[in-house]
Amino acid sequence: MSGMWLFVMILLLGAMAAGVGFWWVRRREQKVAMLRERLVTVTQCARQTGDNIAHDLRTPLTRLRGDVEAALRQDDAAAHRATLERTLGEVEGMQSIINALLTLGQAEAGGIRVKKRPVDLTALLEEMLELYIPSAEERQLRLEGRIAPRMLIEADRQLLARIFSNLLDNALKYVPAGGLIMLTGAIKGGRAEITVEDSGPGVPQEMREKIFERFTRLDSSRTIASGAGLGLSLVKAFARLLQGDVTIGSSSLGGAAFSVTLPASAASVSTPFPR
Amino acid sequence: MKLLIMEDDVAAARSLKEGLEQAGHGVDLAHDGDQGYALARQGHHDLWIMDVMMPGRDGLSVLKALRDEGRRTPALIVSALGEVDERVEGLRAGGDDYVVKPYAFAELLARVEALLRRAHAFGGSPETSLELADLKIDLLSRSVIRAGQAIDLQPREFRLLEYLMRNAGQVVTRTMLLENVWEYFFDPQTNVVDVHISRLRQKIDKSFATPLLHTVRGEGYILRAER
Ligand SMILES: Nc1ncnc2c1ncn2[C@@H]1O[C@H](COP(=O)(O)OP(=O)(O)OP(=O)(O)O)[C@@H](O)[C@H]1O
Ligand SMILES: [Mg+2]
Repeated sequence: MSGMWLFVMILLLGAMAAGVGFWWVRRREQKVAMLRERLVTVTQCARQTGDNIAHDLRTPLTRLRGDVEAALRQDDAAAHRATLERTLGEVEGMQSIINALLTLGQAEAGGIRVKKRPVDLTALLEEMLELYIPSAEERQLRLEGRIAPRMLIEADRQLLARIFSNLLDNALKYVPAGGLIMLTGAIKGGRAEITVEDSGPGVPQEMREKIFERFTRLDSSRTIASGAGLGLSLVKAFARLLQGDVTIGSSSLGGAAFSVTLPASAASVSTPFPR
Repeated sequence: MKLLIMEDDVAAARSLKEGLEQAGHGVDLAHDGDQGYALARQGHHDLWIMDVMMPGRDGLSVLKALRDEGRRTPALIVSALGEVDERVEGLRAGGDDYVVKPYAFAELLARVEALLRRAHAFGGSPETSLELADLKIDLLSRSVIRAGQAIDLQPREFRLLEYLMRNAGQVVTRTMLLENVWEYFFDPQTNVVDVHISRLRQKIDKSFATPLLHTVRGEGYILRAER
């Protein structure tokens, strides 16, 4: 992936977003025409790059471009407004893909300096439960924890939280209503092992390696929820930054079980998974 | 309020200026670090908005120099990088808050207003209670009362309400809540904040005639007495 290219994309998208923000003070026609010009540049940019980044951005860009061109053929303020609102939505989607790709690129190239500090993993996992339980309940899902006491690790709290939050986001997305999600944490043989497992559809054996690659999504997931297929790539990259790893297996609950292992600090109390 | 924007991208600076002026602020522009430093030293501004990457002197070294001279004007750092250590560096250089490009204008404006308000709230002795209409929270006993009726909140709900009370009358974004109430500097995919807000709303608004906690579409939330 070319960092330079992504940087240029970001600047372009940033300019677009700023433009959209002030649409109502300018003459609409002029604004839409400007947007179109920028879009053409971005689309051309995307076409020049052969890899899947371009491919994945091309879908929203195509939609966007079609939408803007259709609006240009009209002369209706309400339609223009609706177009600009959709444009902003698409831009935000592309922005988050680009952000994820940049972070991934940096993480994999070792460009993210991790400042390890003592982290109370027990407290962090309890906080994640507290943060997510209301959202789980809103989706008619049960989210439960089996978290061992006094787990201390040397890590970066923000990266840890991003790992678990991505795994919980997935469980909330892919487990159908009525299901169960379990968050487990324990120290085993000097390593912390945190598992997010669920009663959902799971991931077939042959896809279990692939699922961590960029832009990989199960076909069966596409109809259930939207996503870029970057969350698990980030989880893997962050786990590795922390000298850990993430693997997937089947859960006794019937769905997927994602296990994150991390080096524990010597002060941790060794505990099996609590009942 | 008079704001100083240091931003080398002329178009970005202009649209930012327009937006902030519409929100009722006076704005000066600087297009590079040296110009920004010179303007900031005049001491006319209530807030600095500084881009990290500028030609000549970068935003962080300008800020550091100004802080070393004892200037305490609140500073909002704007950066295109947005990684964990970058944010820490920005705050260490003397920044008071940090946003990542490309940001939503509403996000930047909410942070600007929060910083301006915080700067003006300084000076008095620390409050022991906060009040809005018939809602009162006691920061010492951590109790909440509305219209004479005690309301039972979880510790996190209390922090959430406290943050909203401290910013009463102003929009706070989901990202600001995640940062200040949960101390997470990233945005989860799930709408976690919205659900916590709706639970809090159940407790503080549901059985009362006038709602206090309002949703501002596409921006965030606001706690205020009138509609
Ligand atoms: N808990 C789960 N149960 C079943 N399938 C899952 C689960 N978690 C992930 N998957 C599958 O793995 C794919 C990749 O997950 P990943 O988090 O990388 O991407 P995503 O959720 O599709 O998009 P995003 O980039 O928004 O996270 C998903 O599309 C889904 O098919
Ligand atoms: Mg995901």
